[in-house]
Amino acid sequence: MSMIRRLLALDGVNVVCHFRDDGYLIEGYGLMSRNDMGRLARFARDYRRMIQGNADQLAMFTNMRGWTPPRGWVVRGATQSVCGVANLVCVVDSSGAPLNEILLELREVSHW
Amino acid sequence: MTKLDDLMKLPGAMAAFEFRGSGELLEQRIAYPDRIDESILDLLAHMCAANMSIATMQARGWEKVTTMKGFYPVQEFTLIGFDWSVVVSGLHREQYKQAGKFSLPPFMGVVMANDKADYEAAFTILEQQESGQ
Repeated sequence: MSMIRRLLALDGVNVVCHFRDDGYLIEGYGLMSRNDMGRLARFARDYRRMIQGNADQLAMFTNMRGWTPPRGWVVRGATQSVCGVANLVCVVDSSGAPLNEILLELREVSHW
Repeated sequence: MTKLDDLMKLPGAMAAFEFRGSGELLEQRIAYPDRIDESILDLLAHMCAANMSIATMQARGWEKVTTMKGFYPVQEFTLIGFDWSVVVSGLHREQYKQAGKFSLPPFMGVVMANDKADYEAAFTILEQQESGQ
């Protein structure tokens, strides 16, 4: 079984995708069409790069260590949230999902 | 006791802050002034304000192109840095907007050390209604 697929076993995780550095979808599982998973992968790649740029600039302007390289991001919407760690992205329920555990699991799986 | 004080009780909390939609820092609490100061928080607040706007644009675009719902309005944005995380919330601003109010409350945020960060607890405090609302 794919390592990323086990993320779907966590409460509240609806979609999980793994993408290449260029944003191409490698594999994806969950409640979303393949087309939308491809879009999600590209979005997550772009968002990751933006966050990386923001963290780099914050560190440069403030001389504060500890922001770069960023480990991940979460955008929490009304009922759905999106979490990204490395080349993985998840769509999770905004309420009820064990976000701390999901982020830990994403980090662990991203090392495989 | 204000919400900023409550945020400072979170495990690993380094600072809690309020800022305008345009990013200017309004009020803050700082636990370790040798590590993070007002000028760093001000820049962090501007970065977070920019990210909330961009995430809002993306949530609107995503809902339009996929017909999926539930991403807009964006309530919170979290950046997990290498050692520190920042969580900011605009939920109360959205609630004011939806109630048709023009004077909006500030964004609120907290900076936490990653090794102790409890993101769920941070969201819970940030989403609590202020007394009197």
